[in-house]
Amino acid sequence: MKQDADIARLRGINKWYGEYHALRDIELQVASGERIVICGPSGSGKSTLVRTMNLLEPFDEGELRVCGVDVRAGDITRAARLAINRRAAMVFQQFNLFPHMTVLQNLTVGPVWGSGIGRDEADERARHYLRRVGLIDHARKYPAQLSGGQQQRVAIARALCTQPKLVLFDEPTASLDPEMVNEVLQTMESLAAEGMTMITVTHEMGFARRVADRILFMDEGAIVEMAAPDEFFERSQSPRVRAFLGKILAH
Amino acid sequence: MRAGHVIDATMRWSRGPFASSSIGALLLAVTAVCAVFAWRFLQWAIVDAHWQGASSEACTNGSGACWAFIAARWKPWLVGDYPTSELWRVWLSFAAFGLFALWVIRRSRVEPLGRVLAGFVVLPVALALLLLGGGPLSVVPPTRLGGLLLTMVVALLTFASALPAGLCLALGRRSRMPVVRFVCASFVEGMRSVPLLAVLFIAVTLLPMFLPRGAGIDLFFRAVIAFALFNAAMAAEVFRGGLQSVGRGQIEAATTVGLSDFATLRLVVLPQAVTAVVPALVNVMISIIKETTLLSVIGIDDLLAAVENGAKSPDWMGDSNILTSGYVFLALVYLFVCYALSRYSRRLETQR
Repeated sequence: MKQDADIARLRGINKWYGEYHALRDIELQVASGERIVICGPSGSGKSTLVRTMNLLEPFDEGELRVCGVDVRAGDITRAARLAINRRAAMVFQQFNLFPHMTVLQNLTVGPVWGSGIGRDEADERARHYLRRVGLIDHARKYPAQLSGGQQQRVAIARALCTQPKLVLFDEPTASLDPEMVNEVLQTMESLAAEGMTMITVTHEMGFARRVADRILFMDEGAIVEMAAPDEFFERSQSPRVRAFLGKILAH
Repeated sequence: MRAGHVIDATMRWSRGPFASSSIGALLLAVTAVCAVFAWRFLQWAIVDAHWQGASSEACTNGSGACWAFIAARWKPWLVGDYPTSELWRVWLSFAAFGLFALWVIRRSRVEPLGRVLAGFVVLPVALALLLLGGGPLSVVPPTRLGGLLLTMVVALLTFASALPAGLCLALGRRSRMPVVRFVCASFVEGMRSVPLLAVLFIAVTLLPMFLPRGAGIDLFFRAVIAFALFNAAMAAEVFRGGLQSVGRGQIEAATTVGLSDFATLRLVVLPQAVTAVVPALVNVMISIIKETTLLSVIGIDDLLAAVENGAKSPDWMGDSNILTSGYVFLALVYLFVCYALSRYSRRLETQR
């Protein structure tokens, strides 16, 4: 059936922080293997949207289905959150590596204690992904001994170690020094080339143009436009999109 | 250099020659008083001191300290009234404690923190079993423990029970269930606003009334329970600070790699929280050790009471120097133990 090919499906999602309407009537369907980039001005609800998808943030109205787990507003259980997070992974703006663990332990803690696979297998898998992000030589180091770009690549490897069906990126390059942005973007692009389903919140428009199947533009908690990159950058009719692109591409 | 000279000169001028010389004079006077005091003390403590003798007669002539009193009455202040034939158990406990302390000092940065803390729970229970007996060992009632031995056992048992209880209370204050949060918060806040002495008296006098007749708990254990409850509240506040120091991003990251709430707590939150508060926990330990002196008030012969009682015994009555020597000795013992601990905590702060 068609809906089983969908990794994520959001219907009528609304969310409020007190009086503040953070997400408005979100409708979104993400097919397996699709690469989606979410952009928009700050405070437009981009991060809130991706954090809602793995239930880090609860929502007040609507229903979603992520990685085969159905959740409705008002019935958000810890079991559902755990189930989604064992199938989806996330990369954060602030990396959020575990500072008291070595790089290798950061990668194995999820598979061993979450998925319950053996320690040897988890080690093997961790080394595989560390090799892929080019950091196998740093396996025994602690996160504080690595640069920001290296830490974020470790975080990507950590996300991959749980063998997710979907990876959510929440502004993965926003807190990096400029010279480290590219190493992280390249890692993400190679991931995209392998067919990983990715939803990325970012201001890196070059990345969006190269990688995205669809670009999703948000403003004031609503999805204002959803289009393929060519259409989005060249032919968008929305004045808000044009204003945003004018600001971000001006220099 | 130049600027310094100008400032120096300005300051000298603004204070005036009179001011600077009066500060010098004051310093000189304070130094002189301290020197005289130190000399008098050394004269009392060493030069004029009496080192040998079996009763107060050894100390009657002269005005020096009476260390003979400490030496002759070593048993009451070291082990209390512990049966002489069973003293090997005491020596074994002291040795075990000493080895454990050495292990902690040398290895606490290498061993996993959980193992070190587990040691602090297991060792006191093992020592209490060894000392109080049961099973193949003959039973020694706790009333026969005294002096430094009693202080050590009470302090260790308090630590062993207050530490886990404090952790539970701190976690309880973060619980999702309002009832649990309320109970834990009221307990902690309540204990924190009552003096320990009051808690001790309540445990000693009120606790037996709530218990069924015949199920009396020994005074010793009632005191340990009071210490444990009071210090659990203190430890809870320490742990609460540690838990708060772990950022929300850590918990979210643990969630997104598929860890359950319990695994997140055990593998991500607690290791970071506890590491952050180890120096503060050592401070709780120091205050527990000092608090044990309150035992003498409710009639348990701790180190303080043992020395005081000694000075009232027929052999040693009559000379105020004897009691003074006892107090000085006590001060030195507590100073040594607590200073060692605080040095250890300082080292942890810089190296963890």
